[in-house]
Amino acid sequence: MSRYILKRGFSMLITLLGVSILVFLMVHLIPGDPVNYILGEFATEEAVNRLKANLGLDKPLPLQYLAFIGGLLKGDLGTSYITGLSVLEQIVQRFPVTFQLALYSLIIGSICGIVLGIVAAVKQNTIFDQLAMLVSLIGISAPGFWIALFLILIFSYHLPIFPISGYDGFYSLILPSITLGLGTTGNIARMTRSSMLEVIKQDYMRTAEAKGVNVIRLIKGHGLQNALIPVITLIGLQFGHLLAGAVVTETVFALPGIGSLAIQAIATRDMPTVQGLVLFMAFMFILVNLLIDVIYSMIDPRIKYD
Amino acid sequence: MVMKKTGFIKMFLLSLFVLVVLSACSGNSKDAQTQPTDQGKKETNTTVETPKQGGGTITVTSVREPDTVDVQRTTWVDDANNHLYEPLVRFDFDGKVVPALAESFEVSPDGLVITFTLREGTTYHTGTPVTAEGIKKSFQRFMDSAPTSYMVGPLEEVVVVSDLKFELHFREAFAPFLSNATTAYLAPLDPSVIDELGDDFGTKASAAGILKLAEISRGSFVKYDTFSDFQLGQGYSQNKGAANFDSVVFRFISDDDTRILEFKRGNSQIMLSVPPNYISELENDPQVELARTLANGHTYLGMNNKKPVFQDLRVRQAIALAVDRAPIVDYALEGAAQALFGPLPPTIPGYSQKVEDQAAQMYGRNIEKARQLLAEAGYEQTNNNGIVMKDGKPLSIELWVTSEPTMQRIAQLLQNQLAEAGIEMRISVQEDATIRAQSPEGAHEMLLWTYGWYDADILHSLFGRGISTRVHYQNDALIEILEKARVEVDPNVRMKMYEDAQMIIVEESPWVPLFVRQNVVAYRDIEGFQVHPITGSIIWSDITKK
Repeated sequence: MSRYILKRGFSMLITLLGVSILVFLMVHLIPGDPVNYILGEFATEEAVNRLKANLGLDKPLPLQYLAFIGGLLKGDLGTSYITGLSVLEQIVQRFPVTFQLALYSLIIGSICGIVLGIVAAVKQNTIFDQLAMLVSLIGISAPGFWIALFLILIFSYHLPIFPISGYDGFYSLILPSITLGLGTTGNIARMTRSSMLEVIKQDYMRTAEAKGVNVIRLIKGHGLQNALIPVITLIGLQFGHLLAGAVVTETVFALPGIGSLAIQAIATRDMPTVQGLVLFMAFMFILVNLLIDVIYSMIDPRIKYD
Repeated sequence: MVMKKTGFIKMFLLSLFVLVVLSACSGNSKDAQTQPTDQGKKETNTTVETPKQGGGTITVTSVREPDTVDVQRTTWVDDANNHLYEPLVRFDFDGKVVPALAESFEVSPDGLVITFTLREGTTYHTGTPVTAEGIKKSFQRFMDSAPTSYMVGPLEEVVVVSDLKFELHFREAFAPFLSNATTAYLAPLDPSVIDELGDDFGTKASAAGILKLAEISRGSFVKYDTFSDFQLGQGYSQNKGAANFDSVVFRFISDDDTRILEFKRGNSQIMLSVPPNYISELENDPQVELARTLANGHTYLGMNNKKPVFQDLRVRQAIALAVDRAPIVDYALEGAAQALFGPLPPTIPGYSQKVEDQAAQMYGRNIEKARQLLAEAGYEQTNNNGIVMKDGKPLSIELWVTSEPTMQRIAQLLQNQLAEAGIEMRISVQEDATIRAQSPEGAHEMLLWTYGWYDADILHSLFGRGISTRVHYQNDALIEILEKARVEVDPNVRMKMYEDAQMIIVEESPWVPLFVRQNVVAYRDIEGFQVHPITGSIIWSDITKK
């Protein structure tokens, strides 16, 4: 196992290097110049050139990239062109909000999704199945901003139970988490249903049923364990998507997470912040998937990495 | 690694539990992100040093978070970061420059020296006295490193005459200086904090304004406390001393719907930048009042005059004649704007009613005349799609517009209006940053853009030699007048020069001025609310919470 983790760690570094090149090229090649933003539209040419030199933007791209990587190796993600703050500091300050939001959404999505999926599979082709799949469809297809406004209107505006916007601890993350978790619920419910349906048809399920095992034990003990393997893969992937998908939710609920930071950074062509954020997100995505792979081997004895 | 068959669910739930615990721990390190509003859960750990004036916290919801509260490190100043600062001079309600932090000022006859005398006993938020030496330090920092350093023009030296008197020496006269000095950009910074923090001034910014910085939470809010020693209330405010409340919190909510719901629920007392589509709803709310002021600039349909198609005056004039401002103001902006034909809005000194009337007379909508001018320019109707053609090519122009919904609605109206004259307009939605970067290169054909400033010298920035970055229009006669106006000391002579310059712009039609927006601010549960009619800035002195 440790050898496997080491191997994955190495491939993670290669992936991150690739991501760093891609993101560096992307932020430098899209139209728009941070100097324009910093100096405003009436800046003199002299001021523009001076600032470009100060930021190192007058150097050729490969040299700028090497400087970026050099900083990265020292644990320095650079300094925001716009706010003058350290990129790492900004991420550290804002990530807890996004992480909590993604985590709570994942918990809501996983629990609701698995339950809905099981009900839909066990009660296949009944009204329960159809209702569960309808909820799943709404979760997948309804736009996040629409769900968010709907929830705010009901539970914050008309019934003032939760705050409308802003971050004030766990309580203020309930509506955003439901908003974000609904999409996950839909995906997980569909995956659980199809995976469960496949398992239900297996001989060992029929045998257990014939032996008189009660339904709950049959599903929990024989069905769910096998059906959940692909679902867990999906949950891992979903966590990465939730981190990235938090952008809209954070904007509507005015949450100070890394999603809203990313939007701001892209709009102002704050290259160091965009680069730092994308690299960080890539790192988190890879890390979570590695964790999921490790969890596999722990829950399914058939999976061995050595 | 074999587990009991049913153990995996427990394992999975345990993993989630561990993550929750971890996240709860990480949540504890977020003091700076705690919401400061009175929505009910908890207060911030901010120390409020200011004695109570009348009490309460006023919450303001705003769209855009300032990149920094250090005005010498930004090009964006608004209510959320400018009340920390007290400029040397201010505009009164008539647009006249009057003393503020300075007790008086005097411009030498040749315009090369401006002498300021400071008020006695004034201090910055830290208690450091306001002195000429400190102001010199602040100016020096501005000239050395501020992105807006061009605002002081050819300023050569700051000469300290005495503790409370200093002179600004210019290489040549720079008439826009006093207007520029009314802005927070040129307001003095506390020299003791400059010495202590240098480039990090913004983290503990101190100046002489009516509000002092209490707390910044990036992505959430900026909190200010009342500056209890403030004694610089202006002639237009009854209260000359400190504000009548404890603190002000600016919350940044970019989503219009969320912002409006927070305001309607009573969680904020002031809502800046009311979106046009919510104005009538708020007008009908008996608990809400609206304050409207005209912006210091206008929105225009800019032509890239470098492009061959726009080098024909008849085409430029035809486009101007095809535009109908009334539906744009009435429908796209829900009445929250004033149609404009001339180059300057009424809020910028230099605005001329004569110019405006002349422009309105020349460019009131006239489709027949527009078609006739196009025909004279060689554009004829040669097929049945309604678009005029010349040399086998249709008159088809691309318009760059930002993703702001209101601007897109305006673009659609313009598209229909120009089509009636036989001009095809293709709307291209571009990112704001892209337009800013690409239009100076001349990559666009037309754009829908807005400018804003407090002085008629803005015309020099828009049409000056080699710096016309949006419309790329160069006219020697115009440039000559604008350059002379920059160094003219006599305000009356200067304003006459701007009138002449505007007449040239009207006749040459290098752009189509469309409208001046109204800054609409909604407020509730407070009294004594005023917005400065020239700057559009909130006047805090007389505000009290009900």
